Amino acid sequence: MMTFCFTGIRSLPKFWKSNPYLSVGPGHSYFSLFLKDYCGIRNQQKWFSLKTASPQNTKAVNLLIAKARYLRKGDEGSNQVSSDSHLFAAGAAKKRSQMNTHREDHGLPPVRNTIQLPTRPLNSEEWDKFKEDFKGKANFESWIISQMAHCHSSIDVAKSLLAWVAAKNNGIVGYDLLVKYLYLCVFHKHISEVIDVYEIMKARYKRLEPGGYTLLIQGLIHSDRWKEALLLLEDIKKVMIPSKKNYNDCIEGALLHQDVNLAWNLYQELLGHNLIPMLKTLKAFFDFGKNIKDDQYSNKLFDILLYLRNNHLYPGESFAHSIKTWFESVPGEQWKGQFTTIQGSGQCSGCGKTIESLHLSPEEYEFLKEKIMRDVIDGGDQYKKTTPQELERFQNFVKCCPPFDIVIDGLNVAKTFPKARESQVLLHVVSQLAKQNLQLLVLGRKHMLTQHSRWRKDEMKKVQKQASCFFADNISADDPFLLYATLHSGNHCKFITKDLMRDHKACLHDAKTQRLFFKWQQGHQLAIINRLPGSKVTFQHIPSYDTVVQTTGDSWHIPYDEDLLERYSYEVPTKWLCLHRKT
Amino acid sequence: MPVFLKMSGSITLRSFGRFLVPFTIHRNKGVLCSTILQRSVSSKIPTVSYPKKESTSPPEQRGLDGWKITMKSSMQEDASAVSSSKDEDPLVAIRELIEMWRLFGKEVPEQISEEELKTAMECVSKSSKKKYLKYLYIKEKIKKAKQIKKETKAALKEKAKKDQLLETTKEDKQQNFLFLRLWDRNIDIAMGWKGIQAMQFGQPLVFDMDYENYMKPKELKNTVSQLLESEGWNRRNVDPFHIYFCNLKVEGAYHKELVKRYGEKWDKLLLTATEKSHVDLFPKDSIIYLTADSPNVMTTFKHDKIYILGSFVDKAMQTGTSLAKAKRLKLATECLPLDRYLQWDTGTKNLTLDQMMRILLCLKNTGSWEEALKFVPRRKHTGCMEISQHSQELVNRLKKSKPFNSFPKGSLNIHTQKRWLE
Repeated sequence: MMTFCFTGIRSLPKFWKSNPYLSVGPGHSYFSLFLKDYCGIRNQQKWFSLKTASPQNTKAVNLLIAKARYLRKGDEGSNQVSSDSHLFAAGAAKKRSQMNTHREDHGLPPVRNTIQLPTRPLNSEEWDKFKEDFKGKANFESWIISQMAHCHSSIDVAKSLLAWVAAKNNGIVGYDLLVKYLYLCVFHKHISEVIDVYEIMKARYKRLEPGGYTLLIQGLIHSDRWKEALLLLEDIKKVMIPSKKNYNDCIEGALLHQDVNLAWNLYQELLGHNLIPMLKTLKAFFDFGKNIKDDQYSNKLFDILLYLRNNHLYPGESFAHSIKTWFESVPGEQWKGQFTTIQGSGQCSGCGKTIESLHLSPEEYEFLKEKIMRDVIDGGDQYKKTTPQELERFQNFVKCCPPFDIVIDGLNVAKTFPKARESQVLLHVVSQLAKQNLQLLVLGRKHMLTQHSRWRKDEMKKVQKQASCFFADNISADDPFLLYATLHSGNHCKFITKDLMRDHKACLHDAKTQRLFFKWQQGHQLAIINRLPGSKVTFQHIPSYDTVVQTTGDSWHIPYDEDLLERYSYEVPTKWLCLHRKT
Repeated sequence: MPVFLKMSGSITLRSFGRFLVPFTIHRNKGVLCSTILQRSVSSKIPTVSYPKKESTSPPEQRGLDGWKITMKSSMQEDASAVSSSKDEDPLVAIRELIEMWRLFGKEVPEQISEEELKTAMECVSKSSKKKYLKYLYIKEKIKKAKQIKKETKAALKEKAKKDQLLETTKEDKQQNFLFLRLWDRNIDIAMGWKGIQAMQFGQPLVFDMDYENYMKPKELKNTVSQLLESEGWNRRNVDPFHIYFCNLKVEGAYHKELVKRYGEKWDKLLLTATEKSHVDLFPKDSIIYLTADSPNVMTTFKHDKIYILGSFVDKAMQTGTSLAKAKRLKLATECLPLDRYLQWDTGTKNLTLDQMMRILLCLKNTGSWEEALKFVPRRKHTGCMEISQHSQELVNRLKKSKPFNSFPKGSLNIHTQKRWLE
């Protein structure tokens, strides 16, 4: 267990450098502690889409880089927008927003003008003078140490500040100063200092607050006293559920010291609290697995992959590399991995295998239909989105009509081209689809039927001739009807709207149903991508395959996020890791 | 240095400190460190004379660690007290956590009662816990500020009294007055008279209290505060509404809170509180439900209609709740013409109840939208819309088509009211 036995603390700095785990140690994410938000980013999807949880300007820089990438792609002449990417492909939303608006230059957020921080330890007189120069409302000591934490000053400078504070204050240093000093120690990986502060805190305070615990855990796991980090974790548990970051640190510590069982136990505990593990926790297991030749361990790694599948999580680029490396390191199985894309037909460009279809199973389909009816349309109060009378009218209407091939959101389609007349656009789309002998349903509101400069009666008559129509009350919501009509018609039926339906997805209560809805939506939503009214209507490409971690036993296909691509929560990655066994 | 620190885990602090001190002083050449040490241990140990060597190591490096020793040694008293009370009471743990948060500079209250502590503990998530603590923190801060203000005021008053005493002794002249100084009471009585008039002949204004189940306790409290304020504005008006609290369930959350806030005054309020619904009290076709979600825009204030306001503070964005209520009962709905008269900037178009009350009172008395919409908070809009000639004409036309607006108010009120009340 204790193979990495330290002879002395002095030897630690070398250790920090040599071990790859530590390089992912204290990063920018820690800084959030001082921005009063150390409980982590609540929105999972956001967390995963932005690879670096970093201070604002880093994010802005990333966006700029990502932007530059799109532009470059455009220059290469590959017609990304129309053929390659679909409505929910990673980065598509970004592209749309760029096409719709002229790019404005969002400059970097203004940098707070800070005073020159000292670069070397100051003595008391110098600190006194420094304090006199400071003009601000805040307490000088805590302000200056926050600034130092922000700029990652060297710990000697911080130490001289604490020494000065202590000298003024009967040898007592406040808790907040101590924590921020600890942050600097952890940041600079100065392990002996971390242990010093740990001793001080242990002696001085019976209990710490989560920020202090988190930093101590993060610092201690790299020392030979890493087991005490687990005691700290226990302390946190007494008042609240530890964060996934806390678990991540402890698991990394356990793996670092070869205590595999402990790491898995902590992982189980983390899942038991309904926390979604950080991707780097999962990555750590894969990285560690390279050195282990053990079936049980491999099975647990497969479990992690299935966890990713069930929760629709996608690994990041470096995690994908770890997975690939691990597979290729399995002895005797000869896995071969490659980074690839999936063709429009749903075949992997690497191995030619067909990726899982987007179709829902009959049970899933029924389940979703039921849920949409109950949560989205009814929602506990039928009067919110419609009225019982209207609902009945609609249900009767849907029942006696033949199943439709395409359901059209009349208002959304009609307003595709702001300059053209609404009824004309609608008629154009409907007549073009009718020529293909498709059963159409146009959903709209009653006001579309009243004569208006933008809604011509004759054109609406023509629409009604070519398609079945249902007009809801003007104050009813038409989208729920659209969803239900499409679901009712069966799996072949598609719907046309540009609406991403996020508000309706939010009406569904549990994450599982939301994922089911999203899967169905990806396969059944048609969005018009014409830029000019009157031209032949073309639709955004619909993927035929499901973007999710999947296996066929001797092959794995794992979608992953590219580091520089900004993916919105309702989009899916386009890059894949294809793993297959040589036979 | 590291050697000692490792030991400190095992050796008790007291002995550690004693053992360490002479030794460290010997090794530490830093001026700073030794001064601190001298200060903290001088009582126990006779001053050690140490040689002043300043060559071997960089002085600041040594001096910088001095505070650690004092930090550790100075808490001997604390440490013994802490180690003995190792009980596992979650309440104690939470209290300690809050204390540590306070030390860290988080926004948590200094004093926290047992009950509040329990509420904090029952918060499901970390963020809700923090939110609740921040709320307590702000409450505490406001309370303190008020206390200070009160004290300074009292001191000033005391001083003024003394000054006056000195003055009054000088002049003891009889003065002639027409009235006794009883203004407040007279105003109260006058308002009471007006209230009774309104109860008999005033235009009804209904507060629909059927939203208890949509609100959290905090929102409900906010609603009741707004109701109190609305009632106050109405009472002071020249021509008050006759307020109805409809759907008010006796012993419901609303009722309890209202009784708590009004105290004894509750039974003497000049308004109608009823468990009945507004559709039972008034003819359906004269009811207009005011809701921001309504597709119909209110053009004029009609003196023969009964306006309904939903007593509902909606912080959870449950859009369309009141509209759904009106739809269920097949009532007419209207919303204020905010977009027509104001250049809306930020914020929701849901106004508070007291703002609605003032707008309605103003409309009732003057009929001018420009005047009435002055009660919309300034932060929400950038200014009034300049009404073009065309729309001005439109408004005029609308006014003409509804002649009620030009009638003398009082006579009309009495006329219409009597019809319903009889």
